[in-house]
Amino acid sequence: MFKRTDDKITTSQAAIVLTNSMLGAGILTLPRDLVKAVQTPDAWVSVVLGGVVVFMVIMIMVKLSQQFPGKTVFQYSKRIVGNLPGGVLSSLLILYFIVVAGFEIRVLAEVTLFFLLEGTPIWAIVMPFIWVGTYLVYGGINSIARVFQIVFPISIFILIICFILSSRIFDIHHLRPFMSEGLMPVIRGMKSGILIFTGCEVVMTMTAFMEHPQEAVKGMMVGFCIPLVLYLVTVVMVIGGLSINSVITSTWPTIDLVRSLEISGFFFERFEFPLLVIWLMQMFCNFCSFFFNASLGISQVFNLKIHPVMFALMPVIFICTMIPQRINDVFRLGDSIGYMGVLIFMLLPLLLSIVLLIRKKGLKQNV
Amino acid sequence: MWSKIVSYIPDWTVFMQAAITLLFPIGLYYLYKHLYFYVGSGRSKESGANSQDEHKKADNDGVNQQQAASTVFTQDYDADLAVIRTALGGNSDVHFREFSVKGIQARAALVYVEGMQDEELINQQVLQNLMFAGEMQASEGIYTYMKQNMLPLAQLSDARDLDHLQESVLFGYTALIVEGMREMLLVGFPHGAVRAITEPTSEALLRGPRIGFTEVLSENTSMLRRQGLNKNLEMKMVEVGSEIKKSLVIAYMKNIVNPDLLKEVNERISKIDMDFILESGYVEQLIEDDYLSPFQQTQNTERPDRVIASLLEGRIAILLDGTPFALIVPVTFSMLLQSPEDYYERWFPGTLLRVLRFCAAFLALLAPALYISFISFHPGLIPTQLAISIIEARQGVPFPALIEVLILEISIEILREAGIRLPKPIGPAMGIVGGLIIGDAAVQAGIVSPFLVIVVAVTAISSFSIPMYSAGITLRILRFAGMLFAAVLGMYGTILFFLLICSHLTRLSSFGVPYITPISPFRVSDWKDLFIRAPLSIMKRRPEMLKTQKKNRKS
Repeated sequence: MFKRTDDKITTSQAAIVLTNSMLGAGILTLPRDLVKAVQTPDAWVSVVLGGVVVFMVIMIMVKLSQQFPGKTVFQYSKRIVGNLPGGVLSSLLILYFIVVAGFEIRVLAEVTLFFLLEGTPIWAIVMPFIWVGTYLVYGGINSIARVFQIVFPISIFILIICFILSSRIFDIHHLRPFMSEGLMPVIRGMKSGILIFTGCEVVMTMTAFMEHPQEAVKGMMVGFCIPLVLYLVTVVMVIGGLSINSVITSTWPTIDLVRSLEISGFFFERFEFPLLVIWLMQMFCNFCSFFFNASLGISQVFNLKIHPVMFALMPVIFICTMIPQRINDVFRLGDSIGYMGVLIFMLLPLLLSIVLLIRKKGLKQNV
Repeated sequence: MWSKIVSYIPDWTVFMQAAITLLFPIGLYYLYKHLYFYVGSGRSKESGANSQDEHKKADNDGVNQQQAASTVFTQDYDADLAVIRTALGGNSDVHFREFSVKGIQARAALVYVEGMQDEELINQQVLQNLMFAGEMQASEGIYTYMKQNMLPLAQLSDARDLDHLQESVLFGYTALIVEGMREMLLVGFPHGAVRAITEPTSEALLRGPRIGFTEVLSENTSMLRRQGLNKNLEMKMVEVGSEIKKSLVIAYMKNIVNPDLLKEVNERISKIDMDFILESGYVEQLIEDDYLSPFQQTQNTERPDRVIASLLEGRIAILLDGTPFALIVPVTFSMLLQSPEDYYERWFPGTLLRVLRFCAAFLALLAPALYISFISFHPGLIPTQLAISIIEARQGVPFPALIEVLILEISIEILREAGIRLPKPIGPAMGIVGGLIIGDAAVQAGIVSPFLVIVVAVTAISSFSIPMYSAGITLRILRFAGMLFAAVLGMYGTILFFLLICSHLTRLSSFGVPYITPISPFRVSDWKDLFIRAPLSIMKRRPEMLKTQKKNRKS
């Protein structure tokens, strides 16, 4: 067929969707959260450890999804644990997606208000963002994946330039001593280390859309490693550039890092502007991914058409965005999203795979 | 616990805003749906079927009578001639030349329109032969005998019925009616006024063939054929237009083109329902995928070399009689920023020019928007020295940046439009008067700042550097939208505008080919011909996006 009628994505697209779903708010907030929890320069170890944990969970999710080709988690959870429990688990996941989507927009709005549009009412920032996002999501997974493919190289390019430039003020002494207080601080930071990878739940739906589901492991591995490396470099660069004491006191340490370098004779003297631009686009991708998954979930769990669900979700997400009253509420919400994320990890992939395993074993014994 | 939850429930204003968040897009959605349906209903035969049926019923009686009276030729020479006379006699420029064929002792008549017949050909090849030929024995019948022995003409065809005869005569054919012969022959070929082949004005090149299409379809197709020896170049003729019929040619390489694509193109062209197709722009608008998109989904060109190159990539060309513009489908966004010269020059300059054009397209789209957002929202983001000098220059300007930009942008657009309409000798002078004097005077008068004049001038020049004129127009339209976004939300608005354009482009496709492939969907091998123009020896394969039959360019 010349015209594609099925809405499938290639393996590389799936990898990019996963990357763009994870790489978002974390770039700006991660270093502070992490350093606050760890209190020692070993924060980057937490990222690695968190990455390992999340990586294993992703593998479980992929393997689980591969058992049900063409089915998303919203569909196969019903098959594994029955209609009602499956529906409840799926609803939990949907709620999680909606809350995260609202949180992402709120962080975006806060940063925009702080750096770009002082004094603008917050709704004026949130509303057009939701509208543009809806326009993209309305086009289905293929359009989303394609926009991600456009945004991703731009983001990577700018990020790498930022890292290269900030290496000028990088001081390895800020990262020492290594493991001075043992492993405990690192373990304490694990929660933040896992939180930054929120968004990896999309694996459970993305696998269903893949043209070649058998390549899911490879694709998801690549899709996961890119943000892992980027986050790791971010943390190392920020701590190395600013030292942990100033990281804790700053609200958006990554921007402060980039602000502290000045490149004279260039069109932008400070690099925070391009960083903000790509970060905004990255947040857009993030939001669209969650928005799409939430509406997909609702339409599949409750047997509704997906397009009206998207419209109906717009005000819900808007209200979600407006609920936190102060920026501290936003950060608290971020923390609870982290806990919720861990809960979802435990509940969905682990519980579902255990139940599935028991069922299969049981069937074999029966035979 | 409960009171804490209550304290987090937002005010009613937030709920109102949420309602707006919902209602505004729903309103837009329905508006779009209705517009889409409204515009779409007049496009093709299928969707317009309902309204057509009514017309048909009304016309039916009249049509039936006419058809019954006209279709069949009797073999009676006088009766036939009388019928033709009544049918065509209303035109004072139709001539009947009656004579007798010496060889078979029969009367005959030539019917032609004055000024459209090939006088010399008719005199020498038809009249002379028929009037002076010696006795003959018509054993196989007059028709075959005449066709085989008496008319030394390469182009000779029959008229099926009176309707066809009437149309052909009025189009410029010369009809030959012979007593005792059932068939009517069309002997002379139409010979209207034609234009000489000139260099294409809309796509001038420094290096490359200077030949451009003309208004005559047969000349255009012959230009394609003359590109070289090949047996796979196929051209299918289709008739379009219900009131005035025109021929349209679909050209493709039989062994390269994807058959599904060909089927799709044929289908869409057969659905065209319009009384007269004046220009290939009509065809373009009636077969494109998304007719509410600002982006064009077919490429129009005057250059035979461009057409043949596209055919070899696996695309399909549509040529229409009466216009020098051929259409190429499917088209991708990057094609609109390419010029044939990229391939004729060596690959370094080709690559440089391409990258330059992408930058130009970016500037043409976003430069004024960036100016507005930097000046009125984020002067802190540009180097301090520059910001200070811009602000100093803007000191006396009484308008906000948006109005300032709009004043200059709109006057530039007017100037450009005026420049096209003006006769050639005045055009450049007008450009100088408009560009230099108005720009300078506006700065002197304190309406705009000198920095803005630079921005607007760069924008205008950038949009001229795009090789496709119609793609330039698209960017001009979108530039104004971008300016509005920037005026409302500054840099944030500009980013949203960019994302909106990206979202739109990814949803767009031209005949099933995604509009911005190979950027996304990502096709590595097609990147050789995107930002860089790889050396010819490396471009061994045809574009992957077109799913051609023959993948390799080399034997």
